Amino acid sequence: MEPLPQNGAHLLSPWEPGVLGLAVYAGAALLMLAAILFLTSWLGEHKPGPAKDLPYESGILPTGSPRILYAIPFYLVATFFLIFDVEALYVFSWAVAFNDLGWTGWLQMSVFIAVLFISLIYVWKKGGLDWGPESRE
Amino acid sequence: MGSGIPRINKTSDALLGALDNLFNWAHKNSLWPLFFGLSCCFIEEAAAFTSRYDLARFGSEVLRGSPRQADLLIISGTVFKKAAPMVLRLYEQMSDPKWVISMGSCANSGGMYDVYSVLQGVDQILPVDVYIPGCPPRPEALEEGIILLQKKIGSCERPARPVLHRAGGWEGTTAAILEDGYTKTRDTRGPGFEGIAERGTSLTPPRFWGSRSDLMWTPPTPRIEPTEREKSLADALRERFGDFIRPIEHSVDMPAYDVDGSRIKDVLRYLKTSPEAHFVRLDDVTAIDESARRDRGVTAPEGEGAPSSEHPPDYTLVYHLLSYESASRIRLKVGVRGSDPAAETITDIWPCANWYEREVYDMFGIRFNGHPDLRRILMPPEWQGHPLRKSHVYRATEMAPYTLEDARAMQPLDGRYFVEGADRDDTIILNYGPHHLGTHGVCRFVLALRGEEIVDLGADIGYHHRAAEKIGERQSWHQFIPYTDRIDYMNGVNNNLAYLNSVEKLAGVTVPDRARFIRVMLAEMFRINSHLIWAGTFLHDIGMMGLNFYAFREREQLMDIIELITGGRLHPSFFRIGGVAMDLPDGWREAVDAFVRIFPSRLKEYAQLAERNPIVKARTVGIGVLSKEEAIEWGLTGPNLRACGVEWDLRKKMPYAAYDAFDFEIPTRTAGDCYARYLVRMDELRQSLRIIEQAARNMPPGRHITEDYRYAVPDKRDTLKDIESLIHHFVNVTRGPKMPKGEAYVPGEVARGEQGYYVVSDGMNMAYRMRIRGPDFAHLQAMPRKIIGRPIADFQAMLGSMDFIMPDCDR
Ligand code: SF4
Repeated sequence: MEPLPQNGAHLLSPWEPGVLGLAVYAGAALLMLAAILFLTSWLGEHKPGPAKDLPYESGILPTGSPRILYAIPFYLVATFFLIFDVEALYVFSWAVAFNDLGWTGWLQMSVFIAVLFISLIYVWKKGGLDWGPESRE
Repeated sequence: MGSGIPRINKTSDALLGALDNLFNWAHKNSLWPLFFGLSCCFIEEAAAFTSRYDLARFGSEVLRGSPRQADLLIISGTVFKKAAPMVLRLYEQMSDPKWVISMGSCANSGGMYDVYSVLQGVDQILPVDVYIPGCPPRPEALEEGIILLQKKIGSCERPARPVLHRAGGWEGTTAAILEDGYTKTRDTRGPGFEGIAERGTSLTPPRFWGSRSDLMWTPPTPRIEPTEREKSLADALRERFGDFIRPIEHSVDMPAYDVDGSRIKDVLRYLKTSPEAHFVRLDDVTAIDESARRDRGVTAPEGEGAPSSEHPPDYTLVYHLLSYESASRIRLKVGVRGSDPAAETITDIWPCANWYEREVYDMFGIRFNGHPDLRRILMPPEWQGHPLRKSHVYRATEMAPYTLEDARAMQPLDGRYFVEGADRDDTIILNYGPHHLGTHGVCRFVLALRGEEIVDLGADIGYHHRAAEKIGERQSWHQFIPYTDRIDYMNGVNNNLAYLNSVEKLAGVTVPDRARFIRVMLAEMFRINSHLIWAGTFLHDIGMMGLNFYAFREREQLMDIIELITGGRLHPSFFRIGGVAMDLPDGWREAVDAFVRIFPSRLKEYAQLAERNPIVKARTVGIGVLSKEEAIEWGLTGPNLRACGVEWDLRKKMPYAAYDAFDFEIPTRTAGDCYARYLVRMDELRQSLRIIEQAARNMPPGRHITEDYRYAVPDKRDTLKDIESLIHHFVNVTRGPKMPKGEAYVPGEVARGEQGYYVVSDGMNMAYRMRIRGPDFAHLQAMPRKIIGRPIADFQAMLGSMDFIMPDCDR
């Protein structure tokens, strides 16, 4: 593995040669997708029937529409997950520049993680991670 | 199948031929089976996927749960008219090209169930590529079926042309749907024999013109002597209810009373609550259609004049109650009259009477005034008539053939009729079953969900109604034994035993010791068998797949022993009136000993796998709790009852067979949750092993069948020596023995709970009425509803922990 450049400005890869690579890559991906889509639709057998368009529900005709007001009890859990997940990104970028940022960086990051940890405990204690019928008991 | 191989005369044809081979090779080696396990055959299908048979070798080991992911439909088991529309829909929902295997005699042709509720061959509604014969076929037979299908795909299909959009060629099933009278016949007599009477009709109701039972003599039924307690109860009842209640003389099994319909509720309430009686459990409610009684006289009162109590009743309602304290039962009978019969509901005394009364309504057309929800329960909603009336048609072959149009028309009721709050726009209605991995059989639950939470729940049963009770009215007392095996198809001879309990009681047959010990030993093997499959599937349901493999391993070892002794696997039908079919073979002891030696260490393995697993505990402890009072009130039996803290096991409390000669305990738990039910069954495995060990060690010498051949099928060796035995052999294996007039109900403890046969004899060679009480009817009514208000994941844990099986619920 190459040692990391000492100058912070070189941390990003150079822009110009990358454009061509990106374009080739995107083109190849599109081509492959198109080929797969075409082949499956052309080679696959098409025998439409009324039953095929129905949802599978253990063999019974479904009742009502699936497009309803849907209570999402784990909505909060999902939001918290997202928040903490995004925070983790900062930790990763700091880890990449660990040597450059030195002890100051370490100190700042420690405070950041500590705050994060405290907020996790806070959310936990407040019951933000419980969901389902138990949470109301 | 295709009509032949097209001639190759051009280069492009050669190319297409090569492509054909390539596509066929790919098709046949990557079949994705969709299961539709309707009944017993599915157990053998499942066994084919386990390590011993290892279906993975054929490239088709992953059973799919959804039709979208599958191209091979394996229909295993009995195709019921009520379930056939779902079979058809799943077939139609599968993507093309697709193939069909029909596994087992029932799916092939209706098998031994030529009866009103069963489709006589699934090929009447969809095309079948491969038929696998057997009842059930062994796992190897399924493998052969798959090999045959692979051969068919490899040699008979030409997929290249359709795939490349050229004319010609074919792939997938090209077989035709068969039509009765044109491409298939349902006539049991076979072509050219239409002129003769159908086999057995001369002996069966309504006419009995060929029956010779009246020429035979049997001693009257033995009579039970009432205990002191029963005598004082009889006095108390006479005092309280006077002429409204009359003891029935000459009862073989328990005190029985005729009760006037106007006072039945008072009598029942008294029996339930009074301290001297305390019959707290409603065992069963059923009815008898009295119209075909042979002593009724030719002038049947059907519709003539007003019904009066002078007439013999047209129907009799029968209530069986049980008292835990005195370990005794009582039978009450209420006559019902008229062409539109009605009675009072007792759902306000026992809530569990709800389903029983619905069943009586469905089967006999007797209405119950005041019933909260009186509608059909087993039969499809649009069914005409009431099947257990004597006037209702019996055989499917007497009815018009069930066709593709019927399967399209006969749709089950929409989910909104089973739950409340279906119209709210934040509630989703979800059908859970009949085709679902988690229901362990064809049973449908309708869940009303708000988010993940279950706000209401309804059950729709009857998809597995095999009409065993109706069949019992037309099979001789011996012929019915194989049908009992299939009542609870995981329990084999345990069913035989429960049936024979009643029959032998009725006829006063004594069974020799050796036969009684053989019965107990085999019955316990099947109990282990059943619990093992349960443990594997239950843990699988809640996310732990491992135990399944081990459980099936031990099960196969037991299956080998059972096969050595009985010659059968799933359905040995090994017990006979008065004993068992044959003596133990050489080498049985070694095989049993080997199992007894190895099984304790295996049990330890299971415990380590499951009981130290925090996820298993998190999903079961405290989930689906039933209190002791609820369990008693709703008529729970077996391990489900014992997990609620009731120490009650028929083998110990009302012993039958030879169970009083054995040393074992009744495991109980008090928590009443899913985990308690798991622990109780695990403990029962140990107790069953103890019993097997004792039975093998103390196996008495002697005969395997009684010496009194009046009712028994004689030992073959005797028939070669003396004419008496030979005559009995002729009579008892052809038209069958005549049973004395009377009735008996002596349930046995099968793996899932108490299963009982209420046999009513009119002095013929077959039962007048064959009522079957299965434990799961009560369990399914009460237990799933305990999960309302919980998330849907808990529902699956509950279903798994109940250990229910549909054939003994729907019968
Ligand atoms: S009775 Fe059971 S085992 Fe026999 S063919 Fe039918 S489903 Fe299979």
